[in-house]
Amino acid sequence: MAEPTTAGRQFDAEALPHLDALYRVALRLTGDPTQAEDLVQDTMLKAYRSWRQYRPGTNAKGWLLTILRNTFINDYRRRKLEPVATDLETVEPHAIYRNVEEVDPEGAFFSKIVDEKVLEAVDALPPDFREVLVLSDMEGMSYGEIAESLRIPVGTVKSRLFRARRQLQSSLYRYAVETGIIPARETDDE
Amino acid sequence: MSDKIDCREAHNRLLDYLKQELTPELAAEVQAHLERCRPCFKQAKFEQSFLLMLQEKARGTCCPGELRARILTALRAEQETD
Repeated sequence: MAEPTTAGRQFDAEALPHLDALYRVALRLTGDPTQAEDLVQDTMLKAYRSWRQYRPGTNAKGWLLTILRNTFINDYRRRKLEPVATDLETVEPHAIYRNVEEVDPEGAFFSKIVDEKVLEAVDALPPDFREVLVLSDMEGMSYGEIAESLRIPVGTVKSRLFRARRQLQSSLYRYAVETGIIPARETDDE
Repeated sequence: MSDKIDCREAHNRLLDYLKQELTPELAAEVQAHLERCRPCFKQAKFEQSFLLMLQEKARGTCCPGELRARILTALRAEQETD
């Protein structure tokens, strides 16, 4: 392998530390490890080619995730069979804290659910909700960074996040009750 | 000093507070409320567990070494054409 050029070395230093985050977000967006790998590689090459547009010292992770997200929308989204958006007809789940405040007020059940099941529940969220939840609550981007990256108002980021968290908590709660991690409430209505 | 905000308002701001998205003034109001209100404090712990769990689940996945190597090779090839 040839020695990296100066620009290459700068790019490596700023961009390579974010490969894990890029891969994780790619997995959640595509739902498929092979496509996620292709998406990350495409993203890194595009980022390198537009490296001059990056302002050093600004948020490299946000910049890379924006490129990843745009690449996904333009080149990958059509390839993936998204579930039909059901958020309009589903009844908004109520806050599940009320269901568990007697049996598990500190929410210990969340961390007892295996990683795979949590990720499945994240993947089952409607795409718009899943995207903001992954960027905010899994990858630690700020609301402002997400709004900029997705080109939507901060208010929209917040309302999507609110609904994403509620839906996710509700499905994790159902799973925890089904598998006996927490006891069902007698008053739980089916 | 009495609470500037009630449970409803504290509840509305809770997740933004935990995500450190509030201005220092608004965050201080939520914090003051949580220090005085046990039910809201308990709910804050619950929501915090949810957020911590998500962060933790995210960290379990890393970029595969093979992909990392493939990307480095592709980047070097790209640079040679610069």
